[in-house]
Amino acid sequence: MAYTEEELKKELETKEYEYGFYTDIESDTFPIGLNEEIVIAISKKKEEPEWMTQWRLEAFRVWESMEEPNWANVHYDKPDFQNISYYSAPKSADPNKTLDDVDPDLLEMYRKLGISVDEQKKLQNVAVDIVVDSVSVATTFKKTLAEKGIIFMPISEAIKEHPELVKKYMGTVVPQKDNFYAALNSAVFTDGSFCYIPKGVRCPMELSTYFRINQAGTGQFERTLLIADEDSYVSYLEGCTAPSRDENQLHAAVVELIALDGAEIKYSTVQNWFPGNKEGKGGVYNFVTKRAICEKNAKVSWTQVETGSAVTWKYPSCILKGDNSIGEFYSIAVTNNYQQADTGTKMIHLGKNTKSTIISKGISAGKSQNSYRGLVQVNSRADGARNFSQCDSLLMGNECGAHTFPYIEAKNKTAMIEHEATTSKIGEDQIFYCNQRGIDTEKAIALIVNGFSKEVLNKLPMEFAVEAQKLLEISLEGSVG
Amino acid sequence: MLKIKDLHANVEGKEILRGINLEVKAGEVHAIMGPNGSGKSTLASVIAGNDNFEVTQGSVELEGEDLEDVSPEERAHKGVFLSFQYPVEIPGVSVTNFMKTAINESRKAKGLEDMPAKDMLKLIREKSELLEIDRKFLSRSLNEGFSGGEKKRNEIFQMAMLEPKVAILDETDSGLDIDALRIVASGVNKLKSKDNAVILITHYQRLLEYIVPDFVHVLHNGKIVKSGGKELALELEEKGYDWLKQETAV
Amino acid sequence: MAFENNVDVEHPVHDVRMAAIKNFEEKGFPSKKEEAWKYTSLNNIQKIDFSIFPKQENSLEYKDVKRYFIHEIDTYKIVFVDGIYSSYLSETTHDGVDICLMSAALTKPMYKQVIDVYFNKIASKDESLTTLNTAFSREGAYIYIPKNKMPKKPIEILHFSTGNEASLLLQPRNLIVVEENAEVQIIERHQSLTSNEVLTNAVTEIFAAKSAIVDLYKIQNDVATASLIDNTYVDQKDKSLVKIHTFSFGGKLTRNNLNFYQNGEYIDSTMKGVTILGEKQHVDHHTLVHHIQPNCESHQDYKGIYGDSSTGVFNGKIIVDKIAQKTNAFQKNNNILISDKASINSKPQLEIFADDVKCSHGCTIGQLDKDALFYLQSRGIPEKEARALLMYAFANNVLSSVRIPELKARINKLIAKKLGVNLGFDL
Repeated sequence: MAYTEEELKKELETKEYEYGFYTDIESDTFPIGLNEEIVIAISKKKEEPEWMTQWRLEAFRVWESMEEPNWANVHYDKPDFQNISYYSAPKSADPNKTLDDVDPDLLEMYRKLGISVDEQKKLQNVAVDIVVDSVSVATTFKKTLAEKGIIFMPISEAIKEHPELVKKYMGTVVPQKDNFYAALNSAVFTDGSFCYIPKGVRCPMELSTYFRINQAGTGQFERTLLIADEDSYVSYLEGCTAPSRDENQLHAAVVELIALDGAEIKYSTVQNWFPGNKEGKGGVYNFVTKRAICEKNAKVSWTQVETGSAVTWKYPSCILKGDNSIGEFYSIAVTNNYQQADTGTKMIHLGKNTKSTIISKGISAGKSQNSYRGLVQVNSRADGARNFSQCDSLLMGNECGAHTFPYIEAKNKTAMIEHEATTSKIGEDQIFYCNQRGIDTEKAIALIVNGFSKEVLNKLPMEFAVEAQKLLEISLEGSVG
Repeated sequence: MLKIKDLHANVEGKEILRGINLEVKAGEVHAIMGPNGSGKSTLASVIAGNDNFEVTQGSVELEGEDLEDVSPEERAHKGVFLSFQYPVEIPGVSVTNFMKTAINESRKAKGLEDMPAKDMLKLIREKSELLEIDRKFLSRSLNEGFSGGEKKRNEIFQMAMLEPKVAILDETDSGLDIDALRIVASGVNKLKSKDNAVILITHYQRLLEYIVPDFVHVLHNGKIVKSGGKELALELEEKGYDWLKQETAV
Repeated sequence: MAFENNVDVEHPVHDVRMAAIKNFEEKGFPSKKEEAWKYTSLNNIQKIDFSIFPKQENSLEYKDVKRYFIHEIDTYKIVFVDGIYSSYLSETTHDGVDICLMSAALTKPMYKQVIDVYFNKIASKDESLTTLNTAFSREGAYIYIPKNKMPKKPIEILHFSTGNEASLLLQPRNLIVVEENAEVQIIERHQSLTSNEVLTNAVTEIFAAKSAIVDLYKIQNDVATASLIDNTYVDQKDKSLVKIHTFSFGGKLTRNNLNFYQNGEYIDSTMKGVTILGEKQHVDHHTLVHHIQPNCESHQDYKGIYGDSSTGVFNGKIIVDKIAQKTNAFQKNNNILISDKASINSKPQLEIFADDVKCSHGCTIGQLDKDALFYLQSRGIPEKEARALLMYAFANNVLSSVRIPELKARINKLIAKKLGVNLGFDL
């Protein structure tokens, strides 16, 4: 007879988180706890200029006065911020080294991650910056990019090498005091990527950052700053993994995108932090602030595939400041077991004839909770603003939840806003139809889920789409209800 | 090839099939006719292994193997094909991708490698021409927004791709205009061979003008009440089912 | 607080009231910090020094208020003037059904059984404005329809305020119990007769037993100095059908809290609304449908047209419990902004815990269809009338389910008047 639910469940239980290995590399880790000394020490360790230290301290002081937000539809034990180490670096990291000098254990780790920091990647035309725990360990393709005037380097280096750019833009999209986690990040961020695309330049390859938390008891607070100067174009990929651990790990990143007049940024994320085990133990708390500002005729497109993390709190947003600017948000969020996700976007229409599109696909399985939360705001001067939102939820089994919290605020009579949401399940008749054609139930579910998510998967760059598709399958295995 | 012995089946506790006996040999075309509610579609579903139906007695054998405890997908791998009366929509999954998955799953079950993309394309081209299917149609989401005729033609296209041993066509003629019927029928006729068998489930004689059956069976109240040659279909067309009902009631 | 001085300690529901007072004292008026009040501020209202109880009884002549009744047809009437029952204007009955007063129901022994089972049973015990009403409400309509009964005619509940007080707080409390297979139609209206400030904080509890049918029409067309907070709670049992229509054209600030609890199977709950606002009017529709049991349906359809500096809010929440399989829940909110200063905030929420359900919501904010406008103009209809006609058509969709023809005609007239056009044909 057919593959039963029980069998599927059993199989899943024995299936480990694929990326849940831990690489034993000697780390240089700070003592736990957070105070001004630690903030200053981080800044010192990174050999930062005085203005940066002061900027961090300002953020720290604001953070101290703030409270952790609790409006999201997620429930978890609040992290003890004094019980986290705010700096952990693989000891062998040295930004001046070439790839040949990189610790062989690290390279082995990249291999397991499926990142080939070698010729293979070069063929695929992807430049990669890898951040392990808190420090950027390798940036490939620096030279090729430099020829075009593109700067792609760890943000710690950019602070030293391009202080004028960092100073001008950092904190302009996500201010230090924007929210609790952004303030925390501003105070303690240890690395991340910096990218600048000069005027009129089309970045010839995908830029990619891979984040990994390796060390126990550390938080990862990376900061990404991406500036696309006038009429430039860049496609940026971001991937995340963490080893399986019993305790929760904290990830509080800030991503700022600046699309100047006529620029276009495509920002894609495949987030696969450790989601915790099947009992809901462990997993990453992913509290991320991502925001873009779009000047005249600029376009920013966020695409995300969120399959990991125990708790996700994330709203990649667009401030459509310039006339005719465009914001897009394409999202697939999968939750299984005890995962909780509260994710969505904000589209703030300030300029005239601004357009935004939101396509959100939520898939809940197991005992998970999956929420879409979004804001579409049309301000009084934003004549001719347009928005289309589509939020679809797919429920698998009867112990999970799907929630939709859209906020729609219009203050302009020429605004055109359309919001639609639907909820559905995988039909037994669909599965039987697939079975009859020789496709087993598990594969049938993968097929149907892929179909459900297609509009978003199509937005991902090719090589990422394949990985994302596989991830969807892995995340949902055994969740037939 | 297919042997059905004293088959009884329930749906939601209600007995629909009450002892069906039928043997279909390779190279044969059988037509199963009967009034609404006689159990025609149930029989098709049971052969395909739909577990909404509970087999309470009797057996279905394919090439001597009892199909009890064989999952629907395994039956498909062994060569059972059901053309659905109401084909199901799967949004976002293109006809091509769906077929690719189905074929490779079948191959996997047989211990074969995935079909090379080149061969797959060739096969698709060949079979879509057979059914006069536009290439654009193949990239559309499976059955989503298809007309009745397109859905049925797509079913037969899938049959052509999967090359089953026993194909059951459940009301494949319903909802087809005369041109579409001709295309579908000629497709089936071309696929027919001495090594496979076809079971046509239909309400009307119309389809049988195009696909000529070797045997016609009349199903009523969950039993085959009369069997005969192709002339039985004509008789039914003329007289309706009432005389049969009366005859069997006696 | 001096409220306690006015509380009758001997009153049969004294304990309920004391608990409600305690809750309100803890919570106070809701503020914009609360998610449920994000888009509606009560600050300005709280600044007004309302009289909580009128100083004197005021009377009205029928001819002066006739136009506020659906006078084309015969109805039962429960009429209050400044919060006090007017027997002169009312027509109640005890003929097979009870259509009378809350004050009587709460104190007379013959109603005790019903009061014990239903009073304050579905109304929230921690929402502050509901408890404010529970604590201090003195009067309201009591409607009890026994099994298999249907009143001979529709029931009108009217609240007039005369303006004899500089500013008045009214807190009517209604209880509507419709037993198995019984049916009732109710029209409710609040009307201020002068431009003195009035705030009404009403609570209505509706219990629809098995196969009961309830139609409630709320006409909100008050003067520009009157504000209304309407808290309606509906408890439905198997196969019952409850429809609430809300027509919001008037008033300064209106907040409608409609809460449906589906405590049975095969229930149908329908909420429809037409909102047409101008000047600085503010209307906030806040709905909740809680699907607690399987096989139920809910339908929401709210249309809004916002002019001048008006603001509209729609906050619709659908909750589908884990066991509520085969739920069909639909929600629609369509809005048109016709002025530069008008605004709309819409928040349609779904919270779904069951997998075999069909739930959807759609929200649009837009303008009139330009092609349709051109089409009408090309047939010789002037632009202003063409616009009005299209807006009328937009809103009119919701009226199809109004089952009292005279009421439908009245609403049509109110819509035409509010849109400021003479359509030249009888609606």
